[in-house]
Amino acid sequence: MSENRIAEHPILGIPEKGKKIKFTFDGKEVEGYEGEPVAEALKAAGLMVHRYTKKHHEPRGVFCAIGRCTDCVMVVDGLPNTRTCITPLQEGMTVQTQYGVSTKPE
Amino acid sequence: MKRYDLIIVGAGPSGLSAAIEAAKHGLTVVVFDENHKPGGQLFKQIHKFFGSKEHMAKIRGFNIGEELLKEASAVGVNVKLNATVTGMYGNKEIVVQTENCVEHFKADSIIIATGAAENVVTFDGWTLPGVMGAGAAQTMMNLHGIKPGKRVLMLGSGNVGLVVSFQLLQAGCDVVALVDAAPKIGGYGVHASKIARCGVPFYLSHTILKAEGEKFVTGVVIGEVDDKFNVIKGTEKHFDVDTICLAVGLSPMSQLLKMAGCEMEDNAQKGGQVPIVNEYGETSVEGIFAVGDVSGIEEASSAMIEGRMAGVCAAEYLGYCNKDEMVKRHTKLEDDLESLREGMFAPKNKGKNIELTEEGIPVSKSLLKKGYISEDEVESFPGVTHKKGLHPVIECTQNIPCNPCQDACKFNCIHIGEKLTSLPVVNEKSDCTGCGMCVAACSGQAIFLVNEEYDEENATVTLPYEFLPLPKKLEKGVALDRSGNVVCEAEVVDIRSTKVFDKTNLLTIKVPKNMAMSARFYKNLDTQV
Repeated sequence: MSENRIAEHPILGIPEKGKKIKFTFDGKEVEGYEGEPVAEALKAAGLMVHRYTKKHHEPRGVFCAIGRCTDCVMVVDGLPNTRTCITPLQEGMTVQTQYGVSTKPE
Repeated sequence: MKRYDLIIVGAGPSGLSAAIEAAKHGLTVVVFDENHKPGGQLFKQIHKFFGSKEHMAKIRGFNIGEELLKEASAVGVNVKLNATVTGMYGNKEIVVQTENCVEHFKADSIIIATGAAENVVTFDGWTLPGVMGAGAAQTMMNLHGIKPGKRVLMLGSGNVGLVVSFQLLQAGCDVVALVDAAPKIGGYGVHASKIARCGVPFYLSHTILKAEGEKFVTGVVIGEVDDKFNVIKGTEKHFDVDTICLAVGLSPMSQLLKMAGCEMEDNAQKGGQVPIVNEYGETSVEGIFAVGDVSGIEEASSAMIEGRMAGVCAAEYLGYCNKDEMVKRHTKLEDDLESLREGMFAPKNKGKNIELTEEGIPVSKSLLKKGYISEDEVESFPGVTHKKGLHPVIECTQNIPCNPCQDACKFNCIHIGEKLTSLPVVNEKSDCTGCGMCVAACSGQAIFLVNEEYDEENATVTLPYEFLPLPKKLEKGVALDRSGNVVCEAEVVDIRSTKVFDKTNLLTIKVPKNMAMSARFYKNLDTQV
């Protein structure tokens, strides 16, 4: 298990998770648990940068984790500006770094 | 257009409470929430709540959430999830966006319980990945089982900053510093003490100068500020961190109320722009109520009572109960609410410099500055006594509305009395059986059982312990004092975990006699970092 995951929590016990599935991040195969937010699966895999801003190409990641700030948006299954912190992970999802609003570095 | 008796926006603690109260009176209630799970932020709250029985004190937040959901479903409350309310009109009509459609609904009464959003502060590098809200960290670790980072710096010493710092430690993260520009710790001293004794250093009158890193946070620089909040040159300190958490307050999400034409005000004490409401939580638009954080930032405990108040008022407004019945219920709830709004941290005392407790004891300066009470200060409080044999030592030194310790002791060893904010007094004449109920019941983890004469050379200290791995009987480690400094070797004499303690384990360590009033935490240097 990823060292970024809590194996057992003193109050909450062993985290309840869906079934283990595979998805891709920028073409690479990554593992996560079905139903957990895409951003959490990425965090567990050690990913920090979700996107680069359009004008200044600055990196952005998870800020609020509850779908308010839109900093964590990525291209998910081809759809840009998807809030990864509130999008449940599904088997075979394609997740890509977002540059501006596309998947190609400018 | 579909019509309801009552529409509630927000399925957090106040919205659900309002729905339950109204549905009990027979109203047809629907609750809209933008999230895919109900409960708002309640399910991230894993600490035991403060207050008295009426406020569900000593129950952990997420368990209160479970209870609310059960109650809501039992009385037939309809909660519609993934439904964002994007607009509201003064004629009590709302616009709801679901995945593929936008719908309008109308009600005879509306209760807005939309809560609040986290504030941010800006500094060089604040947009780097790795800088996040304290709430985000809480969401990651307590809802999804993910560590927000390995090494974390927390900005903000209010209750959110303090509570989340402790939760970071529980999740296995390292908290390298707790920083606040204010000269004093803003939250409860007991919350600060829990993290101070784990060794987290406090930097009051300090602020973040910059977050370092190219693509994500790799470090942070803080600096001391003077009384005008200007950085003092030469005071910069660097920490290697991968995460910076911001706990710098909340702002009410009151946009819908403004949109509907409710009279608003900018109220710094309440956290920003809030609707003007009467004693029943009703806004200037008849039949539209606002409850919980959206009408002023407070605790979840008070939000739940406010919800119930608006629920019964909506019932009366629509003729589902008579005025007398409503006033009776309302008065009871008002009393519960007022008792929570007492003490040093009461909304009315915000920003005030309180130097004496209600009992006239000087407030610990060390507690406000460093997060822990000094050894000589602690002796002046009525919960701290000395006697032969086992006895509780209650290091509760600020007037907070809370009394589970009094109820926990069946032998009347602990007295708080009628006034919820009074400091607990230990009755030296009562015999302590060592059951440990008070230790586990204290939401602030401020009670220790001390036996100053365990044997010829040693004393024992029983302390609340909520970390993994659990120490084992007879293992040897070190004892830490209130500041987190190692003071002596310690041997684990006992570790007790029962259902009634609700995950607060009672760890008893043996330390040299002269350490009985110093040793307040335990570490096994082999199993813990």
